[in-house]
This record gives sequence, structure tokens and C-alpha cells, in this order.
Amino acid sequence: MRASRITGRRVKRWLARAVLTVLGGSVLAFLVVPVFSVIPMSLSSSMVFELIPTAPGWSQYRRFFGSPEWMVALGRSVQVALGTTVVATTLGTLAALGLVRIRSRWRAVLEAALISSRIVPSIVFAVAAYFVFSQVGLVGRVAGLVVAHSVLAFPFVVVLVSSALHSFDRSLEEASQSLGAGPVRTFFRITFPQIRLAVFGGALFAFNVSFDEVVVTLFISGVHSKTLPVKVWDAILYEITPILPAISTLIIVASVLMLTPLLLYRRRS
Amino acid sequence: MRALARRNWSTLVLLGPPLVFLVVVFAFPLARVIWGSFFAPDFTLQFYERMWTVPVYGRVFWITLKISALTTLFCILLGYPAAYFLASVRPGTRQMLLLCVIVPFFLSVLVRNYVWMVLLQRTGLVNRLLLDWGVIAQPLELMYNELGVLVAMVNTLLPYMIFPVLSALLAVPPELRHASASLGAGAVRTFWRVTLPLSLPGVAAGGLLVFIVALGFFITPALLGGPKQMMISNLIEFSVRQVLNWPFAFALANTLLWGTLALYFVHVRLLEGRLSKAGLP
Repeated sequence: MRASRITGRRVKRWLARAVLTVLGGSVLAFLVVPVFSVIPMSLSSSMVFELIPTAPGWSQYRRFFGSPEWMVALGRSVQVALGTTVVATTLGTLAALGLVRIRSRWRAVLEAALISSRIVPSIVFAVAAYFVFSQVGLVGRVAGLVVAHSVLAFPFVVVLVSSALHSFDRSLEEASQSLGAGPVRTFFRITFPQIRLAVFGGALFAFNVSFDEVVVTLFISGVHSKTLPVKVWDAILYEITPILPAISTLIIVASVLMLTPLLLYRRRS
Repeated sequence: MRALARRNWSTLVLLGPPLVFLVVVFAFPLARVIWGSFFAPDFTLQFYERMWTVPVYGRVFWITLKISALTTLFCILLGYPAAYFLASVRPGTRQMLLLCVIVPFFLSVLVRNYVWMVLLQRTGLVNRLLLDWGVIAQPLELMYNELGVLVAMVNTLLPYMIFPVLSALLAVPPELRHASASLGAGAVRTFWRVTLPLSLPGVAAGGLLVFIVALGFFITPALLGGPKQMMISNLIEFSVRQVLNWPFAFALANTLLWGTLALYFVHVRLLEGRLSKAGLP
């Protein structure tokens, strides 16, 4: 009698475990599988859109790399993303270095102000930037895109570098300065080597944020300086072409390549 | 004294450039939006009045709230079991499985929405599989409606739900569950009486974050929704780019901005003043 109750409980527990695994596993699959299903579609060689390629091949990739129009957009995206990486990483690192020097409650206020561009809905910033940038001639210019993307990207650098600085022993800086090194020298010889992984991670984030940005770019890129995502947006709305799965795959691969060092870094820390 | 002065000086030098940059290219444009919604060029509330009195616009607000609330609900229903599952496996396995949540989170939102369009269209993979298996006789309308928008929004926002719930679950001391079990409660009862109540703050924080981010969604309703799924962001874009009614767009943007900020303030309070990083690592 008692034994059977224990077995009953064991069966019940096993059942609960199985239900949980199936449920949790399906949600995780729902998160990953759809995105990556675009990869087989990209291998279609047909000129019309196919879901599952009948004759797999690289022809869509060839069309993408052979199209001057798409190449210009890709080049511009890389250019904007590199510019954003430089601006956002520099400003973000400076901000993080300044934040750790503040010990009062102002620090929380400043930190909130510095990451506030991630909280404001992108459409609000898009309209604001479009209006103000168009008055100073920054719409349709790479410089305008770099500036706007830097606003959106630099909170990532601030957060990553700040958390690296928390585990950094500030007395080393003081020691360096008391031995006669100036602040700049102290930064490059003492501080930077300690936080360079976080700075590098922040730079990767900044590049990725810029490379994928659509909403703000849609407004301020103008007719003549469309980035890759904006060209993709136009293509989705106005012509479903068989080239899109190939471009999507390339964008996914680029993001995964940039994410890999970040994940390795996360595991280390 | 001199050391202190020098220290303040260096803090100023470090924080100066980023703050000036933010004020010029972020705060000033936003202030311009707020200003422009009230002054055209004299003080007026007509754009806000229009927002509330014209029924079409009221509907857009209602749709925005409804879609955001439904997205939050489904994120809780799907995210909680996923987080519970992740909390119940060994730490090594959890690290591996967490990749399923982290990786899509960093992939282009545009690409993910595009893929949903391909999967959900009339001739898409979902319809084709269902037709092939004989589940349906006619292709289903899976997009350009609320269903398509919800599927893609829940898919995009689930990580915002899973992370806080997972950390809340991992913070529940295992001794409490053991104590409950040794006092005779079954697994189900222990869950309802111990684990669930202790993880509710995580659900509240995650749910509010999902709701806040959902309110500002633009790409998904534009691509997967029909005319009846126009959300505030889409109306703002329409006002600026199609009808060039700037002051009205400013009024809408300002309303969305303050709604978001107010809810975000509540969210920060929920985390007992700990600054939330809004999905930042």
C-alpha cells in the first residue's frame, strides 16, 4: 500500500518533469527555430520565391554581391557602423570612467540620464532627430547617421565598461599618479589594460546596434543614403524578392560572429 | 583640498563630452518635440484635443494598449514555464540553453520580422505544413491581422520576460522548497504556496518591461499587421511622412514618451530602486 503510493508519487513527479521539459523546450524552440529557418531558404536558385529550395545553390548570394545598388547600401552600413563604434566607444568609456568617480546619489541620476536613450521609444527619437537634423542639413548624410546611432549605441558601452570598472582596484590609479604619471598615462598604462575586454565588447555592441538600426535610420537616411536595413525594409514592403533570405542570412551570420566573443567574455567574467 | 579639486576637475573632463553630446543630439531634439506639440507658434492644446476627440485616433490608442496587454499576457504564459524549466536544470545545461534566449535577442529585429512574414504568409511554411498534413483545407490568414502581430511581438519580447523571472526563481532558497516538502506538501502545492509567490516580483518586473517596450513597437505592426493593427508609433510615422502634420506627430510622440517614462519609473520602483538596465547586459 505504502510502496504503491511512493511509486505513484514518483510517476507523478516524472510526469511533471516531462511536461515541464516539453513546455519549456517548445518555448525555447519558438525563440530560435523561426529565425534560422531563413538559412535554407536563402539557398534557393530560382528567380521566383521558394520556401524550400528545389536546387540548392549560392545564386542569391552571387546576385547580392553582384548588385552595385546593394553593395553601396552595404558599404554605407559598414561605414556608419564603424563611425558609430568609434564615437560611441569613446564617449561611453569616458562616461563610465567619470561615473565611477562619483560617490553621491547623483551617480544614479547621471547613470539614468546616460542610458535614457534606450528607454525612449525609437519612434520618438526618430521624429525628434528627423526634425532637428533636417534644419541643420544632417539628413541623408553619413555624419547624421553616425551621430544618431551613437546616441542609441553608447549606453551599451557605458553599462559594460562601468561593470568592469566596479571590479577594478582604483588604488592602482592613485599609486600611479602619486608616482608621477599624468592622468592620460595612468589611463593607458594602468586602467585601460584592466578594462579593455569590456571596451572591446562595448565596441562590438555599438557596431551591431548601428548595423541593425532601422527605425531612426528610416527617417534620417534620406533618399540617397539608405543603409542595408533600410534597403531591406523597402524591398520587404515593395518587392518580395528571392534575394532577401540571402541578405537576412548574411545579417544573422554577421551578428552571430560579433556575439560570439561577447558570450565568451561573459563566461570568463 | 587640492587633490579633491583635481578629482572634481577630472570627473568633469570625463563626463563633460558624453553629457554635452547627449544634450545636443538627444535631449535638445526631444525638447524640441515637446515644445512643438504645444507651440505652433502660439500656445495651443489643439493637437492634444484632436488626439482625444477624433475617434480614429482614440482607436489607435486603444489598439496600442490592447496589443501591448495581450503581448504581455502571452509573454507571461510562455515565459514563466520557460524560466521555470531553465531554473530546474543543472547550471551547465542552463548556460547552454540560455543561448536560445540570448542569441535571438541580439539578432536584427527587422530580419526576425521578415522571417515571420515568410513563415506566416498565405503560401508560407506554416500554411503549407498544415495543408500537407491535412489539418486544414484552406490556407489560414495568419498575418496582416492581430494574430501575426502578436506572434512576432511575443517572439521578440519573450527574453525581457524570461530573464527577470529566471533570476527571481534562482533567488528562491532551495531550503524553502525542502522545508515545504518535509512538512508534507506535494510538488504542486509547494509550487503554488512557495515558489510562485516568491517569483511574482520577477513576473511583475518582466511583465511591465514587456508592456513598456511593446507600447513603442513600430516594425512589427507595420510589417505583420493590417490597417486595424496601426499602433501609436505607426500613426506618428504616418503623420510625419505621409501627411506632414508635424505638430500632431509631436503631440502623439510626447504622449508616448511620457507614458513610457511614467511606466518605466514604476518599473524601477518595483525593483526597489535598483536601476533597471532596460534589457542591457
